[in-house]
Order: sequence, then structure tokens, then C-alpha cells
Amino acid sequence: MKLLQMIGQGMLLWIVYWLGNQITATTGLPIPGTVFGMVLLFLLLLSGIIKLRYIQDAADFLLKHMLFFFIPIAVGLMDWGTVFYEHGLVLAAALLAGAVLPFFTVGGLAQLLRKGDK
Amino acid sequence: MQAVITVVSILITVGVYLFSRYLYFRYNNPLINIVLLSTSVIIAILIICKLPYAAYVPAKDIMTFLLGPATVALSVPLYRHRHLLKQYSLAIVVGVGTGTIVSMATVLFITQAGGLARDIIVSIIPKSSTIPFAVGIAQLAGGNPALAVAFVVATGTFGSVAGLSLLTWFKIHDPVARGLAMGTVAHGQGTAMALLEGEQAGSMAGVAMALAGVFTALAAPVLVTLFGG
Repeated sequence: MKLLQMIGQGMLLWIVYWLGNQITATTGLPIPGTVFGMVLLFLLLLSGIIKLRYIQDAADFLLKHMLFFFIPIAVGLMDWGTVFYEHGLVLAAALLAGAVLPFFTVGGLAQLLRKGDK
Repeated sequence: MQAVITVVSILITVGVYLFSRYLYFRYNNPLINIVLLSTSVIIAILIICKLPYAAYVPAKDIMTFLLGPATVALSVPLYRHRHLLKQYSLAIVVGVGTGTIVSMATVLFITQAGGLARDIIVSIIPKSSTIPFAVGIAQLAGGNPALAVAFVVATGTFGSVAGLSLLTWFKIHDPVARGLAMGTVAHGQGTAMALLEGEQAGSMAGVAMALAGVFTALAAPVLVTLFGG
């Protein structure tokens, strides 16, 4: 019973995902269907058309094990070793600066705006 | 033969994932990265068995079947925290929005100056969104999904290890601001670290993570078209 319920909930999430992909396909926008699906699900939840309990068990399970899906994708790195060997320094610099600067920007801006709130 | 390889690959991947997850929770150490550890073990196994990546692809396709619905499910935590979205809307939208742009512009500038190929640049730009978004963005823009995953994981690991100390060093002490920064830059891994600081920082990180994914997806194509040539 519990399993059937999970499958049903998963199918509902799948339908929203499918609709998101349809939006990407129809509009031709370079935005992944998952993004439209996510916005769509949020709006459906807000409007009450989909109740949280219709999907929450499957959603929580998928979110809990989300990291699992990235492992098979990352295995594809085995064909990309030379990129890191050849461009390691530039990539490291980009990743480092690309993390430190936004840390400072987001933290600083948000703290400033929160002071304005009080 | 391929069918056997596929079944065994799936069993091994699930086993390695569960074991890495067990290690992570057993030792509670941010340096044990579930994705990094599992991926290295599986690549090592494939190399030892002299199997090319192509032999693993059918197994990969089966296992990632549910990634789409899982990504859509990111709306659920956002919906649960909708009162926070309203309460801190200005700080959230301005902070996370500016942060995502700064993040993408920085890597775009450095990788272009460093003379990297376009497919690599496009794969690194979405490194601050969660993996499913990064994979989708990279694919749509002509990048490589595996590279996108590597850059996201590297960013998340760096952010979760160094982020909180960096924020303290920048004199950012407000828990809302700290949570937003951790979620925007270091997505899921950063959110896990922010949660250790407290419920408020953790929830803000979760909200920032979901929004940073959406903002990145919206802004990345524009940025790539404008400057990525």
C-alpha cells in the first residue's frame, strides 16, 4: 500500500516534470524543463491544486537520495582527465574566485538589507 | 554481455553509494564527500576491469531516470519555507540574484582570459546551482554534463569547508545573511553546513539554494550568448 502510494506520488511529480519539458520544447527557450517544472509545482502548491500530502513522501525520498543521481553522471569524468591536467590552474582560479566573491557579495548585501529592515 | 555489465554496474553503484552515505553519517565529516568518494571508486573499478565509459552508459541512463522529478521536488522545501520567502523577500532576491550573477561573471571572465574551450566554459558557469540545474544548463548550452557535475561538487566542497570561516572573516554575522550566502554559493553541501549553525541559517540556505538554481537557469543563457560567443 505504502509502495503503491509512493509510486503514485512519483508519477505525479513525473507529470509536472513532463509539463516543464513541454514548456521548454514549445517556447524554445534555453531554460531546462526542470526549472519550469519546479516553478509550476510551486505555483500548484500555492494555489492548493496540488496538496503537499499528495506528493510529500515521494518528494522527501527523492530529495533525501538526490546525491545518488549525480554519481553515474560524474563517472563520465573518466573521459575528461586531460582537461584537468592541462587547465587545472585556470579552473582552480575560476572556482576559487567564483566562490569567494559571491560569498562576500551575498553575505554583505543581505546583512546590509537586513539592517535596513530593523 | 552488455546486459550483465549494466545490471552489475547498477548493483555496484547502489552499493557504493549506500556505503559512502554510511561513512558520511558515521564520521560526520565535510571532507567525506558522498559523490566524490563514490565516483572515484566506480571509476577505479571500471579502469581495473578495463571497461570504457561507454559500457557504463546504459546503467547510467537507467539510474538517472528519476533525476527530473527529483529536481522538480526541490519546490517542496521552498513551499514549506514560504513564510521566510515573504519575510525576507528583499534580502533574498537582491542577495541571491546579485550573488548568482557575480558568481557566473567571475568564472566566465577568468576562464575566457585563461583561453579555455567553449564547451568547458559553458560547463563551469552554472557551478553554483545544484547539480540537476547545472547539468540541464550545460547540456542546453553545448557543454558537458559530467564536467558540470565535477565543477558543482568542487564548488560545494570548497564552500562547505571554507564558507563559514570566510563569512566570519568578512564580518558577516547575521544568520539570515550567512545562510543565504552558503546556499547561493555552495548549494546542498553549503546548506548542510549552514544547518549546523542553526535552524534559521539552514532554512535560508535551503531557500537560497533553490532560488540560485532558478536564477542561474534564467541568467546563464543570456550571459553565455552575450559574452560566451
